[in-house]
Amino acid sequence: MFNQATMGGFGANTAVTNTNPMKDYEVVQPPDDSISSLAFSPAAIPQNFLIAGSWDNNVRCWEIEQNGTSIPKSMQSCGAPVLDVAWSDDGTKVFVAGCDKQAKMWDLASNQLVQVAVHDAPIKTCHWIKAPNYSCLMTGSWDKTLKFWDTRSPAPMLSINLPERCYCADVDFPMAVVGTAGRQIIVYQLEGKPQEFKKLDSPLKYQHRCVAIFKDKKKSPTGYALGSVEGRVAIQYVNPANPKDNFTFKCHRSNGTPNGFQDIYAVNDIAFHPVHGTLSTVGADGSFSFWDKDARTKLKASELMEQSISRCAFNHNGQIFAYAVSYDWSKGHEFYNSQKKNYIFLRSCYDELKPRTSS
Amino acid sequence: MGRKKKKQSKPWCWYCNREFDDEKILIQHQKAKHFKCHICHKKLYTGPGLSIHCMQVHKETIDKVPNSLPNRSNVDIEIYGMEGIPAADLKEHERQKQNSKGESSDEDEPASKRPKPEGLLGNAPPGIPVAMPQMNQMMPQMISHGMPPGMHHMMHTMGHMGGPPFMHHPGMPHMMPPHMMMQGQPGPPKPLFPSAVPSSSPGAAIVGADFKPISSGATISAPPTTNTPGGNVDLSKINTIAATGASSKILHPIEDVSLEEIRARHPKYSKGSWQKNDERGSSSSSAHASELSIAVSAAQQAAVANQQQVAAIQAKAQEAQHQHMAMMGRMAAAASAAHAFPVRVSAGHPLTVVAGAPVMAGPSMGMLRGPLIGGPLMRPPHLGMPPGMIQMPPGMMYGHPMFPAGPMIMQPRFR
Repeated sequence: MFNQATMGGFGANTAVTNTNPMKDYEVVQPPDDSISSLAFSPAAIPQNFLIAGSWDNNVRCWEIEQNGTSIPKSMQSCGAPVLDVAWSDDGTKVFVAGCDKQAKMWDLASNQLVQVAVHDAPIKTCHWIKAPNYSCLMTGSWDKTLKFWDTRSPAPMLSINLPERCYCADVDFPMAVVGTAGRQIIVYQLEGKPQEFKKLDSPLKYQHRCVAIFKDKKKSPTGYALGSVEGRVAIQYVNPANPKDNFTFKCHRSNGTPNGFQDIYAVNDIAFHPVHGTLSTVGADGSFSFWDKDARTKLKASELMEQSISRCAFNHNGQIFAYAVSYDWSKGHEFYNSQKKNYIFLRSCYDELKPRTSS
Repeated sequence: MGRKKKKQSKPWCWYCNREFDDEKILIQHQKAKHFKCHICHKKLYTGPGLSIHCMQVHKETIDKVPNSLPNRSNVDIEIYGMEGIPAADLKEHERQKQNSKGESSDEDEPASKRPKPEGLLGNAPPGIPVAMPQMNQMMPQMISHGMPPGMHHMMHTMGHMGGPPFMHHPGMPHMMPPHMMMQGQPGPPKPLFPSAVPSSSPGAAIVGADFKPISSGATISAPPTTNTPGGNVDLSKINTIAATGASSKILHPIEDVSLEEIRARHPKYSKGSWQKNDERGSSSSSAHASELSIAVSAAQQAAVANQQQVAAIQAKAQEAQHQHMAMMGRMAAAASAAHAFPVRVSAGHPLTVVAGAPVMAGPSMGMLRGPLIGGPLMRPPHLGMPPGMIQMPPGMMYGHPMFPAGPMIMQPRFR
């Protein structure tokens, strides 16, 4: 159906320009505007599908093959800039949240897009929650609420007020974390029904931008990494055995002090490797880095891209690292160039994210 | 070097011969005066530490310790407070002390002696200087191989769980006071947290070997100064200004609002068709003047009557309610035609036909929720408005043929 499959083979070996300093596989037919969200299909499906939401109002789906080839599968227009995307646990549906204050459910089998949630302001985050006794879509909005939808009823199952606008969130049953404006962090426990578990002071001094939950050795969620606009990430345990377990580290800052200033960039996204438990951060500086939070070391730092990296994601088995090179507005609208191409790159990352100690 | 503080002589700084009342202050002094990187103002712990830092981070060699006496500028001697001072120099100092006792104890800088330390204290953020040196001393004792002490310790503790209820401030500050802050200076070092960790972890001389390199690019900003400002003010209108004002700048719009919010305000994005039928609703919740104006401009494309209605609503919701009722009636018809609950329905339907319906659901949902949310007041107008309808088709048009149905269908439906 899609002939683009034949274009696939290029990438690593051929297209080596400064637009692709890491020589990674380039996803074909990328979005026409900045990429706001990236998500790989869950383990429930054998293939790898990549979903990307964009400021161009569309959400796109590619199939990613083992050899790095990307095959465009489908695209849906949401009528408004997309701010977040999420997969259902069974991989049959994709949820799309955006500036139109709606979250929509994209049934991939039928290719239908259906509104399933609505807020009073744009929806910044959406996550699928799969609990033993319920499953629902969690949406976090700038209207200062967190809502839970069963996707069949037009009314939310539950609405929780947030102290401030929702800026970032993550879900890993039975835990959810929401970071808001005003530097607040709220942890929810989802067992039974979603409940606020803890409201925390931020370990960071600047605006929250991204959050990702990490698991302990038994694979249950135990803490989260929180990134701020001030090039800093906090590793926080929900119940730290020792207060020293929590720490922060700096990242995405310019090396030298060219003009007397060190440039500090926002941490745009954090993702944990599903197998190794190590993590990646991507920043407005246009680089990604891999870290081992337990050894507290940096595993790898990338070259700088042409533009900022707005989002990143690992596929379900941790073989593929996808990162989106597109403008994140961190320098304001003056620096926005709609002519610049947006990229999604795919990197074979399994070995690079191995923790150093456990060699 | 166990010979410090013998004969209760005051601690003194080997680099500049100044005396101090307390070794803590001496250490602060050394960090500020002699171990501070001239490029990024990072405070290191020892002379060799500084030299390694400059070498690794800035690719610069330093040949002498800053602000040191000519004969005491050796960067290779590792001195920390009173530790590490060459025995000969210690004796020499002692002797000079003795001699000068009769006179008024002055060797080098009599006048500045007193005031200086105070100044230091005053400038430094309360908890930090005290805590860190202490920490620093302890660490090396705990572990002494090449590993950064802090790290090592943490690795051990990390795995354990279900610990003490340290909830609110899970960071360093809590842990420091107990062990490390025994001598005076009780200041609960709240602001310590974020900066403390990175800077306290390195062992004295191991600067480059640990977590530091991680932040390699980052070593530069001066954390302590960052602590105070900006932090406590909350809510929307704070400025996210440069971290230190001194040596770094945060690349982010001044306004402390997320990049996405700022971007969404940009005409390119706020003028989309979705805005036309939706922005009105939001003006209630997000009271941005700009949004209002956008809403209004969007409305121009709608019937004039509608536009007035919107204005009226925004001004006085109550009065508008009647009109809404009327509109709702109208809409209800449309909505029901389109099926009120799209989700369930649509799944089963042939794509093309139902295509429009789902999107319609937005409005209808709003209506159903009724006055609960207050949203409905605003929403009905857009319901009624033609633009609302207009917006749908594009959504559908993009829809590609579809997955050839193959792979995705594995689990037909999850409900």
